[in-house]
Amino acid sequence: MSALLSVKDLSVSLGGKTLVDGISFDLAPGEVLSIVGESGSGKSMTAKALMGLLPPKANATGTAMFDGANLLAPDTKTPRGTGIGLIFQEPMTALTPVLTIGMQLTEALVSHELCSKDEARSRAIDMLDRVGIPVPATRMRQYPHELSGGMRQRVVIAMMMLLGPRVLIADEPTTALDVTVQAQILDLLKEIVSETQIGLILITHDMGVVAEMADHVLVMKAGKAEELGPVADLFALPVAAYTRDLLDAVPRIDAVSTRAEPETETLLSVRNITKTFQTRGALFKSGAAHRALDDVSLEVRRGETLALVGESGSGKTTLGRVIARLTAADAGQVLLEDTDLTCLAGRDLQARRRAVQMVFQDPYASLDPRQTVGRTIAEPMIIHDTLTKAERTQRVESLLGKVGLGADMARRYPHEFSGGQRQRIAIARAMAARPTLVIADEPTSALDVSIQARVLDLLEGLKQSEDLTMLFISHDLAVVRQIADRVAVMRNGRILELGPASALFAAPKHPYTRALIDVAPVPDPTRKRGKRPVLQGDYPTGPLKEVDAGHWVAG
Amino acid sequence: MWRFLGTRIAMGAFTIWITTILVTLLIHAVPGDPVQIMYAQSQGTTPEQIEEVRRSLGLDRSIPVQYLMYMERLLQGDLGATIRGGQPVLEVILQRLPNTLLLACAAMFIAILIGVPIGFLAAYREGTLTDIALMIIAIAGISMPHFWLGLMLLFFFALELGWLPVSGNGWLNLVLPALTLGLSNAAIFARLTRSSMIDVMSQDYVQTAFAKGLPKALVLRRHVLRAGLLPVVTMMGLQFAFMMGGAIVVENIFSWNGVGRMAVEAIFQRDYPLIQGFILTFSVVVVFVAIVIDALYAVLDPRIRRS
Repeated sequence: MSALLSVKDLSVSLGGKTLVDGISFDLAPGEVLSIVGESGSGKSMTAKALMGLLPPKANATGTAMFDGANLLAPDTKTPRGTGIGLIFQEPMTALTPVLTIGMQLTEALVSHELCSKDEARSRAIDMLDRVGIPVPATRMRQYPHELSGGMRQRVVIAMMMLLGPRVLIADEPTTALDVTVQAQILDLLKEIVSETQIGLILITHDMGVVAEMADHVLVMKAGKAEELGPVADLFALPVAAYTRDLLDAVPRIDAVSTRAEPETETLLSVRNITKTFQTRGALFKSGAAHRALDDVSLEVRRGETLALVGESGSGKTTLGRVIARLTAADAGQVLLEDTDLTCLAGRDLQARRRAVQMVFQDPYASLDPRQTVGRTIAEPMIIHDTLTKAERTQRVESLLGKVGLGADMARRYPHEFSGGQRQRIAIARAMAARPTLVIADEPTSALDVSIQARVLDLLEGLKQSEDLTMLFISHDLAVVRQIADRVAVMRNGRILELGPASALFAAPKHPYTRALIDVAPVPDPTRKRGKRPVLQGDYPTGPLKEVDAGHWVAG
Repeated sequence: MWRFLGTRIAMGAFTIWITTILVTLLIHAVPGDPVQIMYAQSQGTTPEQIEEVRRSLGLDRSIPVQYLMYMERLLQGDLGATIRGGQPVLEVILQRLPNTLLLACAAMFIAILIGVPIGFLAAYREGTLTDIALMIIAIAGISMPHFWLGLMLLFFFALELGWLPVSGNGWLNLVLPALTLGLSNAAIFARLTRSSMIDVMSQDYVQTAFAKGLPKALVLRRHVLRAGLLPVVTMMGLQFAFMMGGAIVVENIFSWNGVGRMAVEAIFQRDYPLIQGFILTFSVVVVFVAIVIDALYAVLDPRIRRS
């Protein structure tokens, strides 16, 4: 079959820097080509160059033949929409907030003079129905903020498909979505490709998504193509060293756990915690109540890593914050070594705070940009310890060493560091208080996969050497599989299943846990997943019952 | 949306109520006896007359009683009578308020008509010479004090060129004061529009609109302008209050017969009922404009309208 799109020696430079360096590939009808790479690899720039949406000062060279024309030639008008469509990562920002869904769906049809306004409307409704949006006629009158993230991404896909493109570029289309929603969107894209025989360029950093979706894979690093080949070959026999590293760094949900059974002494005991958030209402009128945590109880054993797993809105982050006393619970107790943290106040609370430290998700937001790294790390010691300045400096340097950074970095500011380094600094800051319990809230989800692997190793190493207990909050089951001793699965503020990681992953007892494990993409192209289970159903959310030793399931 | 507007109206009413308290306390904020000060320059006032004025102002009662008396009259639409002339305060103010509102609205119109397109153009040409030149002019405009700009305009257009009258209250007389007040605000709008547009243009949804193959003009008009104007609308509300304040200076330069000029006269003459009435009217106008802006905001932003 002849190529739909043929790219040769595509290079993009901006301000003297080469961002994309000599990329070549072909895309056939009905084919899915995955472009994989970490941040800064130039994968998004490649997409923008093909769309003719590069920033004004960027310069693209090479050829990209589509429909007999070179897209990169300065006098070619890129057939945006009608020839090539583009879907962005973040469905929350990809739709104009002040325009109705209907307007955004139909405007391009009308503007390209493909059909009349009325026909555009009926085509749009059909297409919404096609991408699985219920009551499409009503949706047409709604605004983006009235739809969920998954629904919005469907709208964006419908918007692009309406124009009948022959190539669709999807730039991380599911990265911002929950894993169950991601599965639905990937299925939808797959159906569209096989039905309409368009060529799909799927840009992603997730090897699981690649394995599931791609026919061919292009691996990029620092603007260069490291490897290009059929997906099965690439996973079975990666040629480039970088591809091998990338594959090795990916945590596997189907990995075999080799973790030792943790001690049984209880360090932290959470009892019947309830937390309700009140949405703001108008004057004299109360808003709606949202129950973030609903009678949650669990125990954390000394020296273990307990993972809290769930999708957005499950209450996992709220529970972490309640334990750290960053959020006050409405009812219930948090007992840390027999002290109830929920009723401490003032000096007692402050003294106790050192025992529980947090590492947050976004290292770009969790470090004060106006303080040096050394000062940030020293701060807990100033509050909790009586050390001389020299002793403090020494300890800051040794902490920096422990997290794999140089002692001389104490005098620098956060903006001088990469994301992975910043997360190491955030970990050093947490360690500075000499905590017994570290709560890590999605500590690696903002990081590239190779950096994620190193940060996870660091946390694991520190846990051993510093005798820590860890509460690890994550949406990523594969990461949890790698790091957790025990797992608690949460949904809508309730714990649905709690048990040893090995048992829970090998034989999940709760239907929701099973569904979560089933829909998670596995980086293995030979393992084809069957039809996805429907996730909208009601799950049992009753009190936990012990089905096996230490394995609890909601009845 | 109605709930949103209801909250805003309730907050506005609260603001005005606070103003009534401050207005009552105002007389006592000035050191010395207010009535003595009022009559300090005029000869031949007898102690009886002074006592009469004090009683008519209610100054012989305690402050809470004074406030209740003031509110009682206020709720009946009575703002008292001016000290000089004895006319009803409300009548004096209502007579001149339209002039000030006309000036402020004309200035706002000029500010938006000039400021928004300049800001839009600068954003569209971000980083080019056009952008830099426009923004330097905008900074100059913001830095220029009203009285200076007013005097310069007066000098060139009225005295040197003789195109426009120096003072008075006709339509032609409106041009120079409105320009004075409008130009410096145009600069503020230009800068705000520019930064807001630049912000919106880098959004994914604008890129998505381009990816659909929409022509540039349509993307700018439909997707960029409307979202980009939201902060400008907020600014309009705030600037309107400043324009009313600025009117006090400008009205005096151009002898424009509005409440601003009246207020300055009242202050010099220590005509307390008139000053109180002026402050109260002013606060009602500002609160009213703020509510109108909130309503406008709700019309432009469906996230507020549909909540």
